[in-house]
Amino acid sequence: MKQRVLWPAAVVVALALAGCGSATGNEPPSNSASGKLVVWDWKSSDKTATAYVEKAKADFAAKHPGVTLEFVAQPFDQYYTLLGAAIQAGKGPDVMMFNGGGQIRDRVDALVPLDQYVAPDKERLAGWDAFTKDGKAYASPVTLQGHPIYFNKDLYKKAGLDPQKPATTWDGFTADCAAITKATKASCFALGNKEGIGIQFFLSAFGSGILTPQEYDDWIAGRRDWNSPNVKKVFQLWKDVNDQGLNSKGGNSTTMFTDAFGIFQSAKATNIIGLMSDIGHWKDFNEFIGPDNLGVMKSPVITAGTTPSLPFDGGIGYGVAKWTKDPALAADLVRSLTSTDALTTFYTNAGAVVSDTTVKTTDGGVAVTAIVADLKTGKPALHVALSSKTIELMGRLSQQILEGSVSVDAALKQLGESDRS
Amino acid sequence: MSAERLAPFVLIAPAVLVIVLFRLWPLLLGVNFSFTGDGDRNGAAVGLDNYTELFADPLFLGALRNVGWLVLLLPVAVAIPGMLATFIYLRVPGHRLYRSVYFFPAVLSPVIVGSIFNLLLSFDGPLNSVLDVVGIEPVDWLGDSKVALFTVVGVHVWATFGMALVVFLSGFATLDPALLDAARSDGAALPQVIRHVIIPGLSRTIQFVFVTTMIGMLTSMFGLIYVMTSGGPGGSTYLPEYYIWIQQGQMNRPAFASAASTVLFLVMLVVGLAQVSFLRRTGKED
Amino acid sequence: MPGARTSRWLIAVPMALLALATVYPLVFTANAAMKTRRDYILDRFALADTLRWDNISTAWTTAGTARYFFNSVLVVAGAVALLLLFGSMAGFALSHLRFRGSRALLLGCLAALFVPFQVIMVPLVRTMADTGLVDTYPGLILAYTAQFLPFTIYLMTSYYSAIPAEIVDAARIDGNTPYGVYRRIMLPIGRPALLSVGVLNALFCWNDVLIALLMMPSAEHRTLMVGVTSLRGQYTADIPTFASGVLIAAVPVLAVYLFFQRRIADAVTAGSTKG
Repeated sequence: MKQRVLWPAAVVVALALAGCGSATGNEPPSNSASGKLVVWDWKSSDKTATAYVEKAKADFAAKHPGVTLEFVAQPFDQYYTLLGAAIQAGKGPDVMMFNGGGQIRDRVDALVPLDQYVAPDKERLAGWDAFTKDGKAYASPVTLQGHPIYFNKDLYKKAGLDPQKPATTWDGFTADCAAITKATKASCFALGNKEGIGIQFFLSAFGSGILTPQEYDDWIAGRRDWNSPNVKKVFQLWKDVNDQGLNSKGGNSTTMFTDAFGIFQSAKATNIIGLMSDIGHWKDFNEFIGPDNLGVMKSPVITAGTTPSLPFDGGIGYGVAKWTKDPALAADLVRSLTSTDALTTFYTNAGAVVSDTTVKTTDGGVAVTAIVADLKTGKPALHVALSSKTIELMGRLSQQILEGSVSVDAALKQLGESDRS
Repeated sequence: MSAERLAPFVLIAPAVLVIVLFRLWPLLLGVNFSFTGDGDRNGAAVGLDNYTELFADPLFLGALRNVGWLVLLLPVAVAIPGMLATFIYLRVPGHRLYRSVYFFPAVLSPVIVGSIFNLLLSFDGPLNSVLDVVGIEPVDWLGDSKVALFTVVGVHVWATFGMALVVFLSGFATLDPALLDAARSDGAALPQVIRHVIIPGLSRTIQFVFVTTMIGMLTSMFGLIYVMTSGGPGGSTYLPEYYIWIQQGQMNRPAFASAASTVLFLVMLVVGLAQVSFLRRTGKED
Repeated sequence: MPGARTSRWLIAVPMALLALATVYPLVFTANAAMKTRRDYILDRFALADTLRWDNISTAWTTAGTARYFFNSVLVVAGAVALLLLFGSMAGFALSHLRFRGSRALLLGCLAALFVPFQVIMVPLVRTMADTGLVDTYPGLILAYTAQFLPFTIYLMTSYYSAIPAEIVDAARIDGNTPYGVYRRIMLPIGRPALLSVGVLNALFCWNDVLIALLMMPSAEHRTLMVGVTSLRGQYTADIPTFASGVLIAAVPVLAVYLFFQRRIADAVTAGSTKG
């Protein structure tokens, strides 16, 4: 009996002592030896992205006729897990898609800095910061992602309000909401916080109306004071909005993707903090409530003296794997994937607000025109500056705040600790 | 004679080979991996650091506590298909139909099952409307941290009982119908038949279903959790496998995830073997 | 027995309700597949106004169904064959042949059952890559075999254990070798269990997404469920197309189950009359 216990224990000790060296495979072999580039993403199988990928392929084929391309569309749910496993097993793609922010910054070890290859694109494309770490860009931005506050003009009209002039102060905004709810039963906001994403959108959309410009810039630069009165105001407002019944019901059990959008699309809520690209964006909403009925606003002024702005960053982008045989060739494919021609197609078919600032967007309705105009004064979104770990914690705490099981102060304390470590 | 003595080894060799090569060997590699670091400390030996951090994380401890809940709910998850299989075996009216359709949910992916139940259980969804008619306050089935885990377990049981049913039904093949007839002609009521004939007769099948249901609950509820609650609200429906997944993918901490996996393996091993020996003992008493 | 008859009908009522509840998701899925995205978002429960097949055809082409279907059938058939063969051989040896270490082996097999896939995910991909099995059909077949073999062995062992030793002894006295006993006695007697575990394993392999994704990186080797999962997209925006894909993937499994389900039932009855 004793022996049986001892030997697994011995194995554990041996393993603990030997525990080293197995974290990454040595020298992942490349696919590109035979003039072939493998691309991983989660977009190329979307109906709305096919034409974009075709354009990019054609552009690349014109420059490098002998090279075959293989686009492997992975399911998004498993994407980063697969990428991690592929990196560790030494079987990875040459070019891969990333979300801007934490997801790429956590994985720059596996990537080639692109600055020398994509220098000519630096001016034409916006959104580089989300793909940059320590001054080096690791991917070229394809889309821009941000959080405009969309509203339903039709509901404003039904309540006898002027949809051309949405309120610019918090009191005015909530008064309008009250009037609309009374007239139409539509709630003020459509909230989806099941994934813990509602708080991210909320923080970024209203941040510029709550934090002073100095506090805002400090936050982005990494100097975040979680105890400051204005940061507390954001989270207190998150709680108050819900306590005052401004949100659609059951926020913690409603997904942002795509139930909350559905609430707005079926006119059961007046406002929603949405997206600029991919989904829950102007094109999606145009389809349901009509281009003429869709309005866009920036945050009302919540703290006196603030200048509300549109929060946005680079959305998705393509990077080049460190182990690819010919980084210049792979970087050329990234350039084709961010060419004006290809990105114009992506804008037209998918409604994505693309990184290329020269793409014309005048035909998409009032909302997209307003969004593109706001890009000039826009600032990086507050939540994108946070680490994956803090974002995850914020999502959980935001749900507990809504439930009333954690106080705003206790949540801020935990967030401050997580952000510092 | 030597060929005779060799026979068992020949019969088990292919199975042992496959399991050792593609299951136990990777397991050892994974355990080894859990003693290394992530990110800046990639590949470096870090001793028990990952384990220390793991047991200091309230989220992981919460996930383990939820495992405890699952173990407590296990008898229910086994009893339901067991009862249903018994009724089908006893030829309740319509048994042929039930035998066919009870398996249907098992063929749908958890993603679609989860999506459907998201709609049915949403705050303003059909279930709450029905409760409203009866005069019961609406329940936020997936948004209330005291209820959500049980909701998800309920859906999991609903989605998988068809498989356990199949196993139970094949187990009935080993039951001696003469015993059943004897009990019946003695005038035994159904509960007595179940207690004195069916449970002892099927003890191995029951034990088997217990173990596999536990494994199903502890390792394949990921899809439902992912779609129905994303571990929320407030982390209340986190399970170790979801935790592992998040650490591995979202947080990019594979070595730390390996440590969590190793703990999950040990927990399952202990719970599972305890269960087997417990069931064996009670089986013998009968 | 009038009392027993009434109670049987009383039991039948909730069972019939449960049957309805188990059919509903399929109905919902089929209904969703017939809707446009717009109709679905505006009202998820309402019946589709017409039978609309474009979602199905979109799903069929986008999910690469024709080729992926072939991949899935090939891999599932291979894995299930290996599982049943290895599983029944080992189950027979562990339940009826006494040999040194058989208890330890059974315990080891039980332990292997408790290895969550996440634990071995990354190392398994490495082991497969080292042996050159990544992105090959045998690689995926072996990965599935390894994944579900402990379950299969465990089921077969516990099934065979219930078979009286006298049957085996009698066959041995008749001059059968252990292999003969396996082939002439154990395989036929094991039919109900083999059929059920075969169906379950086929279902597990068919519905698996993660192992297939990890083992088959290149697009042309993908399985059907991987193709269907890709339809979900990042934001599950297009449920009707996804539902169509789910339907396409579920129909063969349902057909197989309904076909074998009768066989399992027959085998159960055959087994029970034999006693």
